[in-house]
Amino acid sequence: MMWEWLTRLRFFVIRKKQNELDDELRFHLDQATQARIAAGMSPAEARRQAMVEFGGVERTREQCHEQRPGWWLGTVKQDVRYALRGFRRNPVFTITVIATLALGIGATTAVFSVVDRILFRSLPYAHDDRLVSVGLVQPLQKQEFTLGGFFFEWRDNQKPFESVTFETGYGDCNLTETNPVHLHCIQVAQNFLPTLGVAPVAGRSFTADEDVPNGPRVVMITDGLWLSRYNRDPGVVNSAVDIDGHANRIVGVLPRGFEMPRLQDVDILRPAQTNVAEQQKANGGIGYRMWAFARLKPGVSIAEAKAQMEPLFLHTQQWIPAEIRNGFSLQVRSIRDLQMQDVYRAAWVLLGAVFAVLLIACANVAGLFSARGAARERELAVRSALGASRGRLIRQTLTEAFLLAIAGALAGCVLAQILLRVFIAIAPTGVPFLAAAQLDLRIVLFTVVLALVCAGLFGILPAMARPRAAALAARQTKSGPQARLRRVLVVAQIGLSVVLLSGASLLVRSFWNLEQQNLGMQTGNVITAHVPLNWERYPHGTGDFYLRAEAAFRQLPGVAAVGVSTSLPPGGWHGATGLPELEVVGRPPAPAPVREEVVWRTVTPDYFRALRIPIVEGRSFTEVERGTDVHLAILSKQLAATLFPAGDAVGQHIEHPVFNPYRQPGPVFTVVGVAGNVKNGGLTGDEEPEFYELRTNVHSEYWDSHNCFLLESSLPASLIAPWIRSRVAQLDPTAPVEIDTMKQTVSKLADRPRFETALLGFFAFCGLLMAVIGLYGVISFVATQRTQEIGVRMALGATRIDILRLIAGEGVRLIVFGGLVGLVAALATAQLLKSLLYNVGPRDPFSYSVVAFLLAIVALAATLIPARAAMNVEPVVALRYE
Amino acid sequence: MPPSTDLLQGTLDLLILQTLAPGPMHGWGVAQRIQQISKEVLQVGQGSLYPALHRLEYRGWIRADWGNSENNRRAKFYSLTDTGRKQLETELATWDRFSSAIGLVLGRVGEVQA
Repeated sequence: MMWEWLTRLRFFVIRKKQNELDDELRFHLDQATQARIAAGMSPAEARRQAMVEFGGVERTREQCHEQRPGWWLGTVKQDVRYALRGFRRNPVFTITVIATLALGIGATTAVFSVVDRILFRSLPYAHDDRLVSVGLVQPLQKQEFTLGGFFFEWRDNQKPFESVTFETGYGDCNLTETNPVHLHCIQVAQNFLPTLGVAPVAGRSFTADEDVPNGPRVVMITDGLWLSRYNRDPGVVNSAVDIDGHANRIVGVLPRGFEMPRLQDVDILRPAQTNVAEQQKANGGIGYRMWAFARLKPGVSIAEAKAQMEPLFLHTQQWIPAEIRNGFSLQVRSIRDLQMQDVYRAAWVLLGAVFAVLLIACANVAGLFSARGAARERELAVRSALGASRGRLIRQTLTEAFLLAIAGALAGCVLAQILLRVFIAIAPTGVPFLAAAQLDLRIVLFTVVLALVCAGLFGILPAMARPRAAALAARQTKSGPQARLRRVLVVAQIGLSVVLLSGASLLVRSFWNLEQQNLGMQTGNVITAHVPLNWERYPHGTGDFYLRAEAAFRQLPGVAAVGVSTSLPPGGWHGATGLPELEVVGRPPAPAPVREEVVWRTVTPDYFRALRIPIVEGRSFTEVERGTDVHLAILSKQLAATLFPAGDAVGQHIEHPVFNPYRQPGPVFTVVGVAGNVKNGGLTGDEEPEFYELRTNVHSEYWDSHNCFLLESSLPASLIAPWIRSRVAQLDPTAPVEIDTMKQTVSKLADRPRFETALLGFFAFCGLLMAVIGLYGVISFVATQRTQEIGVRMALGATRIDILRLIAGEGVRLIVFGGLVGLVAALATAQLLKSLLYNVGPRDPFSYSVVAFLLAIVALAATLIPARAAMNVEPVVALRYE
Repeated sequence: MPPSTDLLQGTLDLLILQTLAPGPMHGWGVAQRIQQISKEVLQVGQGSLYPALHRLEYRGWIRADWGNSENNRRAKFYSLTDTGRKQLETELATWDRFSSAIGLVLGRVGEVQA
């Protein structure tokens, strides 16, 4: 067997000499002649008879040649050469097909590579399919959480899980050695890492005796911190690190790529060291907020786990204060769902868009090949009459399709790589894992095969279907079913591109609304400095620090106003209270069934000045009032209208009682003014009522450790930033400072919609381009095929306008039909976009009109160009046209 | 001349191998030998002989060497290789099984054995 293959290989490489065979055949012929002479014939007659018997030599020669292993390779080479010659003769077809394929393959691959990481990536946990997030949800809080008072009850009585663990959310902490940095510390239960199935790369996880109240100060560090601070030195285990002024021992290092289930930033893990008894007393008996995760027992589904947890939930629900109890329900879902909730929709929309583009590309390639096949029908018939077998013709077509698909795939891969870079560059930071996205070879292969099938199938059809003799005889070829197929393809393309265009125009309009909306404040010329402090360094409150920093900033050159606030609009974290907790003095507490949230900010008078928030009624806070121990408030217009519909807000008193869990009297605020509404629920969120409390200088101990400064200045931020840093360092060298401009902050909030809009817009553009190419191809093909008919018509007296109408009418019919189909489909699918839209309905008539207009213009142009060419044909030329 | 019988698909290879078994022979000789032994029933034309010889050579069952013929002309002599000899045995066995099976079906066992 081995020898046989070797022999074949030898002959594959070494070609036999052509004349050897000739010598052999001549010898055979001579022998036959000799034999006849020996039998008594004359030499001439013997030779004649031998030659007659011998027959044709050429066929033998060919057959001997075909026996050679690897002979078929030669024919492939022939096919390739023939195909390339064909491409050169018809460069428009070639370039169109390659460009279409490149766009389709490139766009699909790039987007799928991105979306794959988001939708289908594997999580960095062992057996991540069995990890779930367990918690409570309420109408205002769709992200499940749990409460310390419940968790331990659940943990001790649950059945469906192998283990249950928790983390207590983000916690800021500062690394207070030389070069202080602001870090993200998260407290976790001792079994947190084992439950997730994560093993440390150095050192160990926390032990049970470290996770006890007042246990030892131990931490685990992430790979990021290990690299940036310790250059991945394995000796870091068991060394000490100063966090918030205390020495902590590093016990372990987390693996590279570790992430929290809720994807928070994390640098350091600490044991939660929870006091269970205290949790059951704190916060009115329900404990503090935490987030629980669990590993399902093998074979238990999420639905079963939820059903088994329901009685436990109903039991613990009784501990929630009665007035809010009913809003809660239990939620158990996979960690993947937890992570991807708001990216899902956008990712599916993208995936849908890109598949639409791919479909258009395939339809285009199919249409082009089918048109070319029809145009070459006669050529194929001639070739088959000359002896090419049907198999050979099909192989020839396949070779062409294959070559184009390869060229398209190569160009597509390059394009995909470029697109991927662009996506990563323009993507907002909020889209998880985008930066790590890479080209997915599987999807490259898939799209190439798909393109190949489209091209091959529609290229082969004419080679298969036609009775050859008829094709040879017919002077004018008109393939009915083929032409109908091409029209259907064009209608489908136009329809799909209308769907894409509608989606894109809706998103563009929504983005426009987002950018143009009135935020209710100025964002230019405002620099913000967020200075979180280490609580433990300020046993008497942080107010003193912030006041001194404010005074120092006021002395900076070019600074017009310095405000201090607990938080900043329009997005991000802010303090809040419930609407029912604002009790107007002298009015019976109104029953408030809806627990509406009110944004709460504690600000200095310059807050309104720096952000240019207008005071529409009453007056602003004054600097003098800061020095007195008073409770003053300014209400947002919306809040004033809710609480005082009569418009008499100024001068009223509002009490903010404390519920712990039973009502206790709280401070009484005097309303001094009403401020204009400010966007405060994120760019796309609804405006929420807002309550401004005056920050007085009197109680330094009331200040918390997170405050922001707002500096109004016409100087660039890059100039002021170092001054701010040096002033803060003079007051507290361990305090980290985060400096931004208000403009950047707002622009960052618009990143996500900008990304979505740009992507969908790009796909819509690709889709439209390809649909137009397809339309142009079909119309110009029809025009060419009917050249002779046009000649006859003109000879019989048809005017050029008649001809234009004849050819363009065909295109217009396709456009109208495709456009209508597309509009119906677009209206049906636009609902999917609803959650991505801002201030635009999914059936916005303006957007659809724009799409219809754009499509009409572009498509008509694609029709009129070939139609005009047909119109200008000279009748004599057309009549002679073969 | 009796009419030539179309050779069964694949039997030509077997006939060639069998003819070459005694010793090297050129193409003309192979054709003549088959014709003689089959009492002029099987006539192998050059159109099927040479492609078959080439096929067998490419497969490594026979090898070709240039030599001098009986009348002292340069001719290509084919001879069985070791692989070819083994292949011949296999093919003979297959043929026997095949032909006796056909014989059984046609009810002509006696004649086949004779």
